[in-house]
Amino acid sequence: MDPAERGDLFDLVQESIVVCDAAGRITAWNAGSTELYGWDAGQALGRPLADLLGAGGDDPALLADGRWEGELARRAADGRELIVEVRRIVRRGADGEPAEIIETARGITERRAAERALRESEYRYRNLFQAMAASFWELDFRPVGQMLREIRKAGVSDYAAHFAAHPEFVREMMRVTRVLAVNEQSVKLFGVDDATALLTTIDRFWPEASTGVYADSVVAAVSGRPSFSRETRLRTLDGREFDAHFTACFPPETVADGKLLIGIIDIGERVRAQRQLQDLQAQFAHAARVSMLGELTASIAHEVNQPLAAIATNASAGMRWLSRPEPDLDELRGINTRVVADAQRAAAIIARVRDMAVRRAPEPRPLSINAVVEEALLFLHHESQGKGVSIELALDPDLPSVMADRTQLQQVVVNLIANAIQAMAADDGPREIRLRTGLDAEGKVSVKIEDTGPGVRPDDLPRLFDSFFTTKADGMGMGLPICRSIIETHGGAIRAENNADGRGACFAFNLPAAEV
Amino acid sequence: MSAADPLISIVEDDESLRQAMVGLVRSLGYRVASYPSAEDFLAADARDRSNCVITDIQMPGLSGIDLKLRLTAEGVATPVIMVTARAEPALHEKAMASGACCLLRKPFTAEALIDCLDQALAA
Repeated sequence: MDPAERGDLFDLVQESIVVCDAAGRITAWNAGSTELYGWDAGQALGRPLADLLGAGGDDPALLADGRWEGELARRAADGRELIVEVRRIVRRGADGEPAEIIETARGITERRAAERALRESEYRYRNLFQAMAASFWELDFRPVGQMLREIRKAGVSDYAAHFAAHPEFVREMMRVTRVLAVNEQSVKLFGVDDATALLTTIDRFWPEASTGVYADSVVAAVSGRPSFSRETRLRTLDGREFDAHFTACFPPETVADGKLLIGIIDIGERVRAQRQLQDLQAQFAHAARVSMLGELTASIAHEVNQPLAAIATNASAGMRWLSRPEPDLDELRGINTRVVADAQRAAAIIARVRDMAVRRAPEPRPLSINAVVEEALLFLHHESQGKGVSIELALDPDLPSVMADRTQLQQVVVNLIANAIQAMAADDGPREIRLRTGLDAEGKVSVKIEDTGPGVRPDDLPRLFDSFFTTKADGMGMGLPICRSIIETHGGAIRAENNADGRGACFAFNLPAAEV
Repeated sequence: MSAADPLISIVEDDESLRQAMVGLVRSLGYRVASYPSAEDFLAADARDRSNCVITDIQMPGLSGIDLKLRLTAEGVATPVIMVTARAEPALHEKAMASGACCLLRKPFTAEALIDCLDQALAA
């Protein structure tokens, strides 16, 4: 084929086109070849193809069949190895002998590399998937996608609200979510003999109580967040529930595929350890409460004695009125009414003391800090009065609730005020307590108790909340550390300082506002 | 009951106990006046009209013992019966030393109060 015959087309095609004569020498070399191999036409023409590129592919099959195609490894002008996909045909002369070999070729090095990388990545992913210490699951999310599209068509725009209102819809989403694959760890964690046992729908692994967590993860997935994680309870096929840390990943490429990857870690041990710690903390708090009640025994006895004395006195008076020749029924009625009220008052005091004295698991619930302060003061009414201490209250009426255990929080307030009373009783100065509630700069609910006592020695300030540190002759040094542990368990902080202006110490703590 | 019956003043900060004591003393046939604090008693200028004062010891502000000392300092000899819920001997000694004519432990019986009142009014 001479150049005139070949025309412009020869240089226009992107593929490499090379023509060799019967001896294998290059007679034509297009621009695509220069592009692919790096040699220009001047360098290539006249050279044997096999010398120039390393592999000609002059197979006996080519001569026999007249055509050949396949992949060849060749070398470019700069020494790079190239993988090329080659098609060759033989043009024969009038005598039937091979006259020319025409080949087209294109480089597939990059495509092959990409394919290999993909295979390796897939292999690595599978290896990781299998080898991870966490349980991994691949889920088919497509039916859920379909369900979501349907409710959106029906006019639902707020998925979270819809899920909250229709838990049965969420359960249905679980029933249509199939497990595609699980790793070894999942087999172990879920106590099955074989991975195939887990290739079912996921509703079987989610207790009713955890439905909301699944709903939240779907909301996270469709709102474009890259991942979601939460602590929840999951269930094995034989019905055993466990505490799990649940993670779902939503990489766009797998989401488009309708595939979801989730990870599950058994956190039972951690949760158990946490519960033990909480239990221990509750035991200590209880011990401190009992010891505090012990210190307040005289005051409490006085508080109970007061209504009892009133009852006894009323009863004596009643006997007098009854012994008259004409019993005074109006007096007797008044006396009876007062006896009932006093008995109720005594019962209320005893109930308050009993709440403080019994040991039970803490029950955090939304509380008004002001109500807790006022109730705590009932314990200290006689104590403060007996020691001549006046208590001035400034309670902010517009505070949000705090999430706390009532008894423990009351314990902290009683403890701090009792400390203030004791500190001032040992001293000849003024005896005033200012107790304020409010919102602090962090937006937390704060309680501040200032006294006019001798204050805390500066050296002692940093150690005040340490266990067994005490400045009292008969103190155990557990009151303040327990206060701190209670406040910190409830997400707050406690501190002590001396009043900047004049005498006395200030103890303050804060607690986060309860979420509404 | 007539103006000639003795007037007993009761000073007690606890309202229900105060009412109960008022009722008991009235049932004994005396006239009664009551005050929630020693300060109220002094302000009402009832010292000379009272034949006897029954006062609680532990009260906010002036205590029952303070009240007795104040009356003595003013030259008022009205007998004072003191009432307390506390059992400490030191407090009892302090009360008697201040010149209380009688000391009652809460809760007390009508008989104990009658004995004290007889003693106080005979003086």
